[in-house]
Amino acid sequence: MRRALTTLTAALGIATLSSAAQAQTTVTFWTWYLSPKFDDYIKTTIAAFEKANPGIKVQWFDKQDSMVQDFLAAVNLGNAPDVINLNIDETQKAAQNGFLRAASDLSGRTYLTSTYYPQSITNFSYQGKTYGYPWYGWLNEGVLLYNPDLYQKAGLTRAPRSLTEMFTYARTVKDKTGAYGWVPAMKDPNTASFLGYFHAEGLPIYAADGKAAFNTAAHAALLQKFVDLYKGGYVPEDVVRREAFQIATELYAQNRLAMIIGGPQALTRLKDTNPGLYAKTVVTEAPLGKANVQTGGGMDLVVPAASKHPQEAAKLAAFFTNNANQLAFAKVVPIVPTTLGSRNAAQFKTTGNDPVARATALVGSSGRFINPGFRAPKNSDDLYKNFNDNIEAALRGKKTAQVALNDAVKYWNANMK
Amino acid sequence: MRLRLRWSDTLLSYAFLAPALLLLAVFTFYPLLYGTYLGFTTYDGARFARGLGPEWTGLENFRTLANDPLFVQSLVNSVKYLLVVPVLQVASLGVAVLVNQQLPGMAFFRAAYYVPVVTSVSLAAVMWEWVFHREGTLNWILTALHLTTKEQAFGWLNSEQWAFFAVMLVTFWRGFGYYMVLYLAGLQNIPSELEEAAILDGANAWQRFWQVTVPLMRPTILLCALLSTIAALKVLEEVLVLTNGGPLNSTYTALMYVYAKAFQGFEFNYGLASAAGLVVAAVGLLLSALNFRLLRSDAGGPE
Repeated sequence: MRRALTTLTAALGIATLSSAAQAQTTVTFWTWYLSPKFDDYIKTTIAAFEKANPGIKVQWFDKQDSMVQDFLAAVNLGNAPDVINLNIDETQKAAQNGFLRAASDLSGRTYLTSTYYPQSITNFSYQGKTYGYPWYGWLNEGVLLYNPDLYQKAGLTRAPRSLTEMFTYARTVKDKTGAYGWVPAMKDPNTASFLGYFHAEGLPIYAADGKAAFNTAAHAALLQKFVDLYKGGYVPEDVVRREAFQIATELYAQNRLAMIIGGPQALTRLKDTNPGLYAKTVVTEAPLGKANVQTGGGMDLVVPAASKHPQEAAKLAAFFTNNANQLAFAKVVPIVPTTLGSRNAAQFKTTGNDPVARATALVGSSGRFINPGFRAPKNSDDLYKNFNDNIEAALRGKKTAQVALNDAVKYWNANMK
Repeated sequence: MRLRLRWSDTLLSYAFLAPALLLLAVFTFYPLLYGTYLGFTTYDGARFARGLGPEWTGLENFRTLANDPLFVQSLVNSVKYLLVVPVLQVASLGVAVLVNQQLPGMAFFRAAYYVPVVTSVSLAAVMWEWVFHREGTLNWILTALHLTTKEQAFGWLNSEQWAFFAVMLVTFWRGFGYYMVLYLAGLQNIPSELEEAAILDGANAWQRFWQVTVPLMRPTILLCALLSTIAALKVLEEVLVLTNGGPLNSTYTALMYVYAKAFQGFEFNYGLASAAGLVVAAVGLLLSALNFRLLRSDAGGPE
């Protein structure tokens, strides 16, 4: 009898185990440029998710340069990932081309509006639907870092308070110290970074009918100021070829640049490369443009239309981007969370002498301001290239600022899909 | 006596050929044919995402290319890039002749010249950035030699006039060792008796080079010329990492155009990219034919 019972129990156990194994779903999760630096955080969060959802197993891959190509190949092979990490621009393009499932369909609009800032939801929305679960972000005008020694040498006593003062400071620093004052993002590769300056100064990118409209006299006058700065040698000539933030962090660490405008992330590299300068760097508020708005960017988690497990994928995306997990991520690296709950988070209220802590305190709870300032058009790669080519032509004196912008607007309106 | 070929022998021959043919079919012939077909279709991100296949549009993509100033400029740049080919060939052949000498330390030079071939392009890019920067090695050397002043220094990769040649120099540096090794192999296949006979006939080094070495090296020269012509025509990596096609598209090559259209973003356009690829391939075929015409045996060398 006992033997029969043991056999029966074992058989039942095996049956239960095998049915549990059969019920388990594997969700494939792709992040973008997060490994190996944030392996611990990602793995810990995945473990917590799997514990909370015993039926779901997560397979994590970190993608770098070839993320989009790998994604297209995976879709082609019928092996699409279930959750992927994109930025605002790429999410817009993916949604416009029909590659994504709407997060607002999967998790419900109420969940999204009760979890994330309205602006963060807008950043990832297209034609009335929200396609991404907003994750971490950054502010372009979040903080201003400056080198007090170069300031002193240039006779400057306080940080600039407007874009006009930024131009003046850039000239003063260069003339008096030989170092650069500022590296503006005029032509960052694969984006249209200069459009951000128009938005910050309250100048429109699109007209009410959706056509490109960044060629008024006011737009041209603003571009001309940057052209004058570039032609005067007040800006490193590499800004037409390389990402401005990259150049800025390199030059700043070498005491050859006085100011960086950006997020606290600029300081993390400085901490390793020049600890002495890091310790004395002054962190303060960056000047806002005339529109008094912050521009910035952000990442999200999306569920591809080709995902085979969209419900489980949505659960994972929501888990990774919830308030607790975004705040935990903000403790590892100075990102700006995009959840409503992060606004009053205690961790952003404590400051110390450490520059990263000060910068994080300044921007950590400002996720509601993250706004790229313009929506990427469907064929943005073509249009951004044309825009950047025209900006470069103006900087190099091949076209006047007005002609360059007119040409770009003409091209956009003829080719915008 | 007439050799009788048995059916089983024929079958066996094809069996041996089958694996190679299969691989060629999958990885060469099929992509080639499919790519050619795509060149005559519309196939972009929006169709792909909706699960729709390519749509036949005939010559539409080629009309688009003809009307796109960026493509025309990129094709012109690619053809201009061929300037590197003769320089590369003459230099690598010359150095191959030098390192072919049985002198002490030659093994080191052979290896040293080959190092750039196996150096990753991103590493090479970082290094050449230092060389070409406004405050880089090249300007420092020019200033030290009093050829320019410090005030005249400029970033070579930021100059519309010089960026093209700067990138070309990197291509030269990366390809030089590869062709040198090919030439070295060719030189070592020349029977030493011919050289010795020429010496006995009283030929000096220069005469031996022109009358013995060059004619016998003609097949290798043809191979290297073909390879480097095709490589120059499809240059991509060094341009992408050093200048991203700039300044003002002066280094934007045809393969960059293909790459941008096929692989950038979700609105990719496989149809247009394939058509551009076909145009580049046609130019490549034309130039290869020209190489054959100029370097084949009927120009005087051995078969």
